[in-house]
Amino acid sequence: MKNLFIPLLACIACAVVVSFTAVSVRSTQELNLENDKKSKILLAAGINSENINEEFEKIEIIYVNFKSNELVEMDEKYDHLKATLKSDLSTAVPKEKDIAILKRMENVGPMYLWFDKEDNIEKVVLPIRGYGLWGTLYGYISLASDLNTINGIEFYEHKETPGLGAEVENEEWKNIWKGKILYNKDGGVELKVVKGASSNKYEVDGLSGATLTSNGVSNMIEYWLGPEAYGPALKIVKETFNS
Amino acid sequence: MKPLTFKESKQLLFAPIIENNPIALQILGICSALAVTVKMDVTLVMCAALTSVVALSNFFISLLRFYIPENIRIIVQMTVIASLVIIVDEILKAYAYEASKQLSVFVGLIITNCIVMGRAEAYAMKNPPIRSFLDGLGNGLGYSFILIVVATIREIFGSGTFLGLQVMPDSYPTNNFLLLPPSSFIIIGLMIWAIRSISTSQVEEDENPLKAHTFKPLVAKKEASNG
Repeated sequence: MKNLFIPLLACIACAVVVSFTAVSVRSTQELNLENDKKSKILLAAGINSENINEEFEKIEIIYVNFKSNELVEMDEKYDHLKATLKSDLSTAVPKEKDIAILKRMENVGPMYLWFDKEDNIEKVVLPIRGYGLWGTLYGYISLASDLNTINGIEFYEHKETPGLGAEVENEEWKNIWKGKILYNKDGGVELKVVKGASSNKYEVDGLSGATLTSNGVSNMIEYWLGPEAYGPALKIVKETFNS
Repeated sequence: MKPLTFKESKQLLFAPIIENNPIALQILGICSALAVTVKMDVTLVMCAALTSVVALSNFFISLLRFYIPENIRIIVQMTVIASLVIIVDEILKAYAYEASKQLSVFVGLIITNCIVMGRAEAYAMKNPPIRSFLDGLGNGLGYSFILIVVATIREIFGSGTFLGLQVMPDSYPTNNFLLLPPSSFIIIGLMIWAIRSISTSQVEEDENPLKAHTFKPLVAKKEASNG
């Protein structure tokens, strides 16, 4: 009997203590995750600040319905990544269009906007994600006031190889992106990560030894800033606010 | 059992730092010592995590020692240790988020750290709770001592900073070798050498000493060539 009871008792006691701890620190952990995400949004926009919440107050968050290409209102708690797990809030991406290998895409996505004193757009941050070599890369891309020049890029979660694909986090590489041009004259996404060194404003130097990660980054930019995602909404925003 | 004297508790606490160091003498817990010693702040969090786990696991396992059935004792020990590690991990995620992100899997891997299991098996199963707690604390301090020294060397000479503050002149290049895990192998090796040349009792007996030839034809040949 002793052989059965003591381990059982130990298991129950341990389970109770572990669950109690997990539940009581959950809210603090979620706050940390949220602050981490917020700080990455700010970093992509080129804001490196200690007062994350204060800086975040300055942002206008508008939501884009990708199906109707309209700007919509959403609840403050809406999480576009969690929405991809729900069938009523997301749609399957058709295979031939799924260049970033998302499988499912949310119906509504956020757009983070900064306005200057004359109510003109100062900069915008958009979430991007797509498959690299080992897994999905999650990040943010920031555009300058013309909604065409890259202001910054930041990745907050990925599974790429350290030293090769994981160099997407390299400060020097991220700095190359600043000032690159996104759309060509016809309005299509022209910006690409190329193999080797870039030769014009539409090219970003590839990461050596990480061709598949570089291609993944190219594809996610083409997808998320193209006609299937934020492309049309960016035009609407530009027409509405920058006259 | 005799009551715990001051001298004894001092011995329990401080002997594992130099005389009986878990890393330097017993060569246990090397894995995390290699992985988490690039930056001092991360190292300090890891040391605190391991020290609290080994002290508390020793305490609880010692409390249970008369009730743990002999044949499934490892399973019961693992239950206690794993629970403590999960609790520590959860607390770090809540209150030391940046450090816990950098430590990633290594907090979870404390479960398999040989120091924790080793002290539970070797000490806590045979000694009363307070002594076991002090023994665990002492071994945690011994582990921390080695990690802090390694991290100091690696951070100052590797990235030229200490606790994130610049200490080396701007012209100091980052030393990539010290930032990679193998460098701590060498630093720990040098520390073992230093510790053993001070306290010579730690030097192990040579298991395979070299001896002169006893094989007759060779000995004869050697003598012939000599004379």
